[in-house]
Amino acid sequence: MGGTPVRSMARSPFVLVVGAVLTWFIAAFLVWPNVNVLIATFFPDGDFSGRAAEKLFSSQRAMKALGNSFLLAVALSITVNLVGIFIVLVTHYFRIRGSRILFLGYASTFIYGGIVLAAGYKFIYGDKGIVTSLLVKVFPAMDPGWFSGFFAVLVVMTFATTTNHMLFVANALKGIDYQTIEAARNLGASTWTILRRVVLPMLKPTLFAVTILSFLTGLGALSAPQVLGGRDFQTITPMILTFTNSPTSRDLAALLAVILGVATILMLAVMSRLEKGGTYFSVSKVSSALEKQSITNPVANAAVHAVAYLLFAVYTLPVVLIVVYSFADGAAIQTGQLTPGNLTLDNYVRVLTQQSGLRPFVVSVVYSALAALIAVGGLLFVARLLQKYRNWVSAVFEYLLHIPWVLPSALLALGLIISYDHPNPLVGGAVLTGTTVILLIAFVTVKIPFTLRMLKASFASVNSSLEEAAAIMGAKTLYVFRRILLPLVLPAAAAITALNFNSLLDDYDTAIFLAHPLVQPLGLVIKANTDGAEGVEGVANTFVYTVLLMVITGVTMYLVYGRSRLRGSTKKRLPGIPPAAPVAGPTLSGAPVPGEDATQPAAAVR
Amino acid sequence: MRKLQTLVAAAVAVTLLAGCGGGTATPAASGDASSAPAGGSGETLVVYTNSNGEGRGEWLTTKAAEAGFKIEIVGAGGADATNKLIAEKNNPIADVAFGLNNMYFSQITAEGALEPYEPAWAGEVDKELGDGETYWPLVKQAILLGYNSDKFAKDAAPQDWTDLWTKDEFKARYERVTGLGTATAQLVFAGILSRYRDDSGDLGISDEGWKQVEQYFQNGSPAVAKTDLFARIASGEVDMGQMPSSIIAEREKSFKVNVETVIPSVGVPLAVEQVALVKGTKKKEQAQKFIDWFGSAQVQGEFAQQFNSMPVNKSAEAKANAEVVDFFADLKQQDIDWEFVQENMGAWVEKIELEYMT
Repeated sequence: MGGTPVRSMARSPFVLVVGAVLTWFIAAFLVWPNVNVLIATFFPDGDFSGRAAEKLFSSQRAMKALGNSFLLAVALSITVNLVGIFIVLVTHYFRIRGSRILFLGYASTFIYGGIVLAAGYKFIYGDKGIVTSLLVKVFPAMDPGWFSGFFAVLVVMTFATTTNHMLFVANALKGIDYQTIEAARNLGASTWTILRRVVLPMLKPTLFAVTILSFLTGLGALSAPQVLGGRDFQTITPMILTFTNSPTSRDLAALLAVILGVATILMLAVMSRLEKGGTYFSVSKVSSALEKQSITNPVANAAVHAVAYLLFAVYTLPVVLIVVYSFADGAAIQTGQLTPGNLTLDNYVRVLTQQSGLRPFVVSVVYSALAALIAVGGLLFVARLLQKYRNWVSAVFEYLLHIPWVLPSALLALGLIISYDHPNPLVGGAVLTGTTVILLIAFVTVKIPFTLRMLKASFASVNSSLEEAAAIMGAKTLYVFRRILLPLVLPAAAAITALNFNSLLDDYDTAIFLAHPLVQPLGLVIKANTDGAEGVEGVANTFVYTVLLMVITGVTMYLVYGRSRLRGSTKKRLPGIPPAAPVAGPTLSGAPVPGEDATQPAAAVR
Repeated sequence: MRKLQTLVAAAVAVTLLAGCGGGTATPAASGDASSAPAGGSGETLVVYTNSNGEGRGEWLTTKAAEAGFKIEIVGAGGADATNKLIAEKNNPIADVAFGLNNMYFSQITAEGALEPYEPAWAGEVDKELGDGETYWPLVKQAILLGYNSDKFAKDAAPQDWTDLWTKDEFKARYERVTGLGTATAQLVFAGILSRYRDDSGDLGISDEGWKQVEQYFQNGSPAVAKTDLFARIASGEVDMGQMPSSIIAEREKSFKVNVETVIPSVGVPLAVEQVALVKGTKKKEQAQKFIDWFGSAQVQGEFAQQFNSMPVNKSAEAKANAEVVDFFADLKQQDIDWEFVQENMGAWVEKIELEYMT
């Protein structure tokens, strides 16, 4: 996997075509709009001013909040991996009783997130929460406000953001060649040694990718600190949002965003370096599918079972409460006084009988589906090339594609407006503002970094000898891509598409600036119905929309996974794919874990 | 194969989306100014507002349709709507904007995104409440300090904002904001800081004034996300805080609390929601007619009746809720130099966020 000279890369027509399209896209939609908005921000009158830096670095609050964001990012990178790997092993690697049920519980983070998730945890562990009330009865000396600050934020965000582990790490795990495990066992390795020396190393590319995502989630944390952070643990994102909205302070927002962005890119660079040089696929001639392992030590077995079910309770309780509370009136939600008598369908009737009706749902579904498909479809080629060719050109492209991680989406949207509110040669002289296309472009661009990371990780676990064999037998580049590579990364691609789709469904930050007035997506309607964020109906509506989104995202996951399983069974009959196929392959066919259908991802808690 | 299908499906869908956008009312895509009303959509007016919540947007759309106006409401928070109007000024999408207060509208006017227009009802409103040229007043809203009247008798209650942090009995009993993004919070600070105007002070405010801000943040109980002030009053966490006049009656009922409001001797800040014509609209005539209709005594009266608001249009008062009208009749308005406030608000918010919020 060493570097490939740029010159040899330029010899392939496939590379040239993809490269040309990519160059145009990056120039037109990633670089130009953001350069424009940054120039307008930092050089308001044509002169650069160091004002922003000076203001920020002399503000105690800004520095503390920034520090908190970094602390959270680093801590989350560790805790999410611990919990995430544990639940993946429990559901996919070890033989655990009821792993199907456990899976469903752990998968609940797929379908919801954000402020409602944080509120759900507060219903349980907050000062008036169910668990807290119980605990206070048992230990009267206990502080009812125990669940707040850094600890509470870290706990909630850890459990809320294991989605990527459940999807991608589990996927990679299923691809591991069972023969290597058997071989290790025959050589006398213990369960623990096999895990540490055989299984986890194979998962590295995926673990690196999800670690970057956890880091990023921590840096961008918004709602969990707002709800649970209290006075001592506030993060930087609320300040960035306030400053983005104020034209005279936008330079501060941009500077803060750039600081976070640079940190993310550094993290990316470190992870890329760690990833380099490893071999992450099975090299055996005939690989076989993973079988679940029993934990032989009875004490360890009992302990793992206990922890697994405890985590199950932690994961499921908030969801149950959110669904229940969505039937209560807004005052009851906020004061925490719930009686079975005041649960009615009123909230749902109010939300669903609005004049706008189902239209915003349809608009959002169409936009999100298109954006998710385009992002994944387009980046399949790009990720493949970036993974295959490693030289300075591909490195530059890769970093440029991460621009959307650097700037907050409101600034991305403003950049698109000021760049395309007049005929612009970059897009063939068209005016994009006021059209329905501009929002689609924005949706696609914001999903690029995530899509690219996960796709690249999944290509990294494909055994390159398959491709070489096909090429030797005369297969053309596109044929190899379509018949060999694509089926192998398809499970990951489907999961990414579903996650992208779900996270775009309720987007507000981008849509508010770019949506066509006659084609308004759901995020705007949700905002109109929940704003003030407070109020009585507003809060109840927030819960109703959350539950409705859970339904949509749940159905999406079912469709994606249900269908991929079908394809999996037909796939086996297809000629051309070696039955011994590799790592990511077995995932497709009848997955050993039956609960999988219900899986669905949603926006992480940010 | 599947990939190909996906791509084709995507391409078809994009075309459909683009088609429906271009065909109906894409003001930008149709290039030339004539902009023939395509399809059956007629002249749909695009109306930006932050005042569409709690059913107001739907009510207005229905009423406007009855009067022969086809409108499409685009709702956004005050700051978002302002930023959007300014960002789009080279190629506007909106035709009319309403609901934003004078601070926001003077910002948009300064950016040159609005077109002066004198509505037919200009004579029925107090011109002082708008700028008398570009944006015109519709609804008055008082920004008040409210307290739990079951806990505090009138004479034991605070008499002014400054009491909250100077008198020990109110410390930690009032809710303070955790961000200055909302119009209400900004108006509270406009009301407090205006009293300490000092052209030699930092950002036009004396040191004494900034000390008040510092005290406000040090002694208040921080607001809790997604938990309404009234919910916190109901549970006894706090007893008082900022509130716009229009929400009080309904929240008292929902949370079963009684709230009285403080009228400081300097008066209370008024937020006045305005309406204006967007510069560069391609449906100018229709938009002007809409403004004439919307601000008329008839429509404003019905709006006030429906949403318990206080109309600026004098002839509309008769239809408004009598209690609301009485409240405003007795209300002393704080004298605030809005031009001064608008010029400095951005910098004030920044300073407060960076230096005083803890």
